[in-house]
Amino acid sequence: MYTLLIVQLAVSGALMGMVYALIAYGFQLTFATSKSINFGQGELVMLSAFFSLTLIDRGLPYWLVVPGGMLFGAVLGLFVERAAVRLSLEQKGEGWILLTIILGLLGFSAAENIWGRDDRPFPTPISSDPLHFFGIDVTPLELSVAIGVLAVMGLVELFKRKTLLGKAFEAVSADRDAAQLMGISATRTIQLSYGLSGLVAALAGILVAPITTVGPTMASVLILKAFSVAVVAGLDSGFGIVLVGLFLGALESLTSFYLGSGWREAPGLILLILALAVRPNGVFGKASIRKV
Amino acid sequence: MWKRLLLIRGAELAALALLAAIPLMVDNSYVLGLLTLLAIYGILLIGLDVTVGYLGQVNLAQAAFLGLGAYAAGLCVANFDLGMLAALAAALVVGLIFGTLLAFPALRLEGPQFALATLSFSALSATVLNEWEGLTLGAQGLQVSRPPFLGMTLDAPEFFWLCLLLLALVWIAMRNLLSSQWGRAFEALRDSPIATDAMGVGTYRHKVAGFALASGLGGLAGGLYAFNFQYLQPQSFGWDLMVILLLGVVLGGRKSLWGALVGASLIALLPNLLSNRGLFQIFSAIGLLIALAAGGQGLLKKTTRPFQALAPVVAMGVLMVGSLIVENTEDWRKAIFALMLFSVVVGLPEGLMGFAARFLTKLFHIEPPRLPTPASLDTVLPKRTANGGALLELRGLERYFGGVKAVDGVSMTVRAGEIHGLIGPNGSGKSTAVNVISGLYVPTGGDMLLRGKPLPVGSLFKVARTGVARTFQNLQLFGELSALDNVMVALKDVYRSPLPLVLLGLARGEEKRARAAALALLELVGLGGQARSLAKDLTYGDQRFLEIARALARKPELLILDEPAAGLAHPDVNKLMEIIKRIHERGISIILIEHHMDVISELCGIVTVLDGGKIIAAGTAEQVKRDPKVIEAYLGVVDDPAGAAAPAQAG
Repeated sequence: MYTLLIVQLAVSGALMGMVYALIAYGFQLTFATSKSINFGQGELVMLSAFFSLTLIDRGLPYWLVVPGGMLFGAVLGLFVERAAVRLSLEQKGEGWILLTIILGLLGFSAAENIWGRDDRPFPTPISSDPLHFFGIDVTPLELSVAIGVLAVMGLVELFKRKTLLGKAFEAVSADRDAAQLMGISATRTIQLSYGLSGLVAALAGILVAPITTVGPTMASVLILKAFSVAVVAGLDSGFGIVLVGLFLGALESLTSFYLGSGWREAPGLILLILALAVRPNGVFGKASIRKV
Repeated sequence: MWKRLLLIRGAELAALALLAAIPLMVDNSYVLGLLTLLAIYGILLIGLDVTVGYLGQVNLAQAAFLGLGAYAAGLCVANFDLGMLAALAAALVVGLIFGTLLAFPALRLEGPQFALATLSFSALSATVLNEWEGLTLGAQGLQVSRPPFLGMTLDAPEFFWLCLLLLALVWIAMRNLLSSQWGRAFEALRDSPIATDAMGVGTYRHKVAGFALASGLGGLAGGLYAFNFQYLQPQSFGWDLMVILLLGVVLGGRKSLWGALVGASLIALLPNLLSNRGLFQIFSAIGLLIALAAGGQGLLKKTTRPFQALAPVVAMGVLMVGSLIVENTEDWRKAIFALMLFSVVVGLPEGLMGFAARFLTKLFHIEPPRLPTPASLDTVLPKRTANGGALLELRGLERYFGGVKAVDGVSMTVRAGEIHGLIGPNGSGKSTAVNVISGLYVPTGGDMLLRGKPLPVGSLFKVARTGVARTFQNLQLFGELSALDNVMVALKDVYRSPLPLVLLGLARGEEKRARAAALALLELVGLGGQARSLAKDLTYGDQRFLEIARALARKPELLILDEPAAGLAHPDVNKLMEIIKRIHERGISIILIEHHMDVISELCGIVTVLDGGKIIAAGTAEQVKRDPKVIEAYLGVVDDPAGAAAPAQAG
C-alpha cells in the first residue's frame, strides 16, 4: 500500500509538472529569438486566468473561453515586448530584466484591485472524478492538463517547422544577424515569439486554474518552478523541459509528503542553483563556444 | 583641485552633520524612526549598488540578506546573550558567508541567469526562515530585545547615532574601495569579462568579493534592522521589499554613494507619501512634469529615442490620473512603484544623482582631478635585452571544433626580440591559434612552451600572469571606464596593498604611481590627451591603440596583436606601425596577425603562413610572398605562377 501511495503522489506531482514545463516552454520561445525572457511571466499566467474567469462569468461556453483567454495572453505578451524588451534589446543591454519585473508588478497590482485579493474557484466542464489505472487515481482534469500541454507544444513546433513564418522564427533563433541580412525582420520575429509565449502562458493559466484556484498569487510559486524547469533543462533544450517538468513535479510532491508542504518549493530552488553552478546551459542544453 | 575636494567633502560633512543634528532639534519619535530607517537603508543600498551598479548585475537577493542578517543578530542576542557590537559583527559575517556561498555558483553567470540564481536564493531563504520553526519561530515572528552597546543601554536617539556612524564608516570605506583598483576591476568585469581575465585582473575573485561585500553590508543592515524594530517576520524580507530596494538604487542613481543615500531617503519616506492623498497628487504631478521636460528635451536634442521620451510621460500620466481617481492609494502601492520604476529605468537611466551630478559640476565649475606627470617609460616598461633564444614554442598544436580542424598540427617557434608575422586567408586558423595560446580555448592536442616551460592551458588569467599579453580583433575594451582607467586596471606589479589598507584609504600612494605609469603608456600610443575620455567615446582607431596600451600595462615579454590594423584608415595604419616599432625597441617580442601585407613586410623579420589550420610556409616576408603555395592559398590556382602578383592586400 505504501509503495502505491508513493507512486500515486509521484504521478499526481508529475502531471502538475507538465504545467511548469508549459510555462518554461514560453521562456524557451522568447529566449530562442532574443536571448531574453519575461520575468513577469507568472503575472501573465495569472491575468489570463482571471480574464478567462470573467469570460466564464459572462456566460461564455468553455470552448470559447479557452481561445479567448489565449488571445488575451498573446496580447499581453506583445505589450511586454513593446514596453519592456524592445528598447533594451536595441541598446544591447540587459534592462529588460528589470523592466519585465516591473511590468509583472504592475500586472499584479492591477489584478489585486480589479479582481480582488481572494482566491476564486475556476469552473470547468472537465470532470474531476478519478479514473483508476493499476490502483492509481488520475482525474480527467489532470489528464486534460497533460494533453493540453503536449498539444500546444506540438502545434507550435509544427508551426515553426512547416510554415514560412515559422522558418523565419527558426532562422532568427539560429543567427539573428544572418537572418536580418536575408531580409527577415528580427524585431517582428521577436514580437511573434513574445506573442506565442503569452499564448502558451495563458493556456497554462487556464489549464491549471481549476486545480489551484484563481488569485493574484496563484502564479508566484508556479513561476519559480517554471524557472527551475527552464534552467535545469536548458533554455534551448526543446522537449527536454517536459522530462524535467515531470521529474520536478514528482519530486516536489514527494518532498511535501516527507518534509511538510512548506518545503515543497525547496527542491526546485536548490536544483536551479545547482544547475546554474554545474551546467549553466542545462542538462539538455548545448554548451556554447566563447568567441572574441 | 582643492575646490573640488572642498566642495565634495564639504557636502558629505554637511549632510552628516545635518542628519546627526535633527534629533537634537526635533523631539519626535516618529521622525527619529524615519531617520534610523534612512541610515539602515543607506547601508543596504550602498551594498546593493555594488552589484547592481558596479558589477552591473540584477541582484534580487539583497532583501534576503537583510533578513538573514536580522535573524542572525536577533538569534545571537536571544541564544548567546551577545552584546550589540558582537551581534552586528555576526550579522555582517553571516551576510559575507552566504554571499560567498551564493557567489560561487553564480560566478560564471551573467544577466538573466544571475538574476535567477539570486531570485531562487531569496525564495529559498524565505522558505527556511518560515519553516525552521524550531529556530526562527516561523511566521509567528521573533521578538528581539535591543542588547547593550559596550555595556550602555541605547535609547532611540543614541541608536540612531550609532546607525548614522556606521553609515558614515561604510560610506568612507566604500569610497576608498570603489575608487581603487577594486572598483575599476568591478566595472571592468561588467564591461568585458574576457578582457578582465586576459589582462590578469581575474573576474573570479573580484566577482565573488564584490558580491560577498554587497551581501555583508546587507547582513549588517539586517542586524541594525533587527535592533530597530525588535520584531522580525520572514515575510518582511520578501519580494515587496526587494522591489522597493531596486527602486531606491535605480531612482537614486547607480554607481554613486550619494545616489544610494537619496534612494534610501526616498524609500524611507515612501509610505508617508502613499498614505497622504494630497501629497501624492502633488508628487505625481511633479513626476509628470519631470517626464515631460526630460522627454521633450531629449526629443528636441535628438539624444533619446521617441519611446524613451514618450513611455515615461505615459507612465507618469497614468500615475497622475490614477492619483485623482483612486480613493485609497495604499491599495495600488505596487502599481505605483512599478510606474515610478518604469519611468526612471526608461527615461532617466542614470538616476536622480547621475543627473544632478552633471548639473552641479557645471554649476560650480568643478574641474576633474588633475593628472600627474607621466612616469618615465624606462620605469614603466624597462628595456629588455633580447637574446634571440626561443621564447614561445608550439609543438603540434591542435584545436578542433567538432569535426572542424581549426588548428591542425601547428609547430612554430617565436624567438625573443622578433616581430613574428602570422598570416593566412580568412578561416585559416590564426585567431583560433591565438585564442589557444592566450588560454581562451583548451587545445585539443600538442604542447605550448614559454621559455621552455609549459604554458598554462585553458585559462586567460593564468596565461596573462606568465607575461603574455594580447589584444582582441573584435575590441574588448572596458567601455564605461576612461582610457586612463582602462590602462590602470591592467597594470601589473603596482597594486600590493591588502584589502584592509585599501578600505582605510591607505593605498593612495600606489594609486598615484599607477596613474603616472598608465599615463606614460597612453602617451606611448599617442592618447595622452584623451586620458579622461570614456573608452566607448574614443574614435575607432584610438580604441585600437588603447587596446595596445592596455596590453602593454601587463609589461609583457610577448605581445600578441590580433589584426590591429583591421578597419583602420590609412593614416592610422602608419601610426600603428610607428607604435609597434616603438614597442619592439623596448625589447618586447611580438606576434603580429595581419592582413595588410605592407605592414607585415615592413615590420616582420619572419612570417608564418597558415591555411586550413596547417602551416604552409615560413620565412622572411619576401620569401613567403613568392611561395607558390601561399599564392595559391590567397588567389587560387594560377596557370603561370611567375605572372601572378604577390598578395598585396589579401583577405
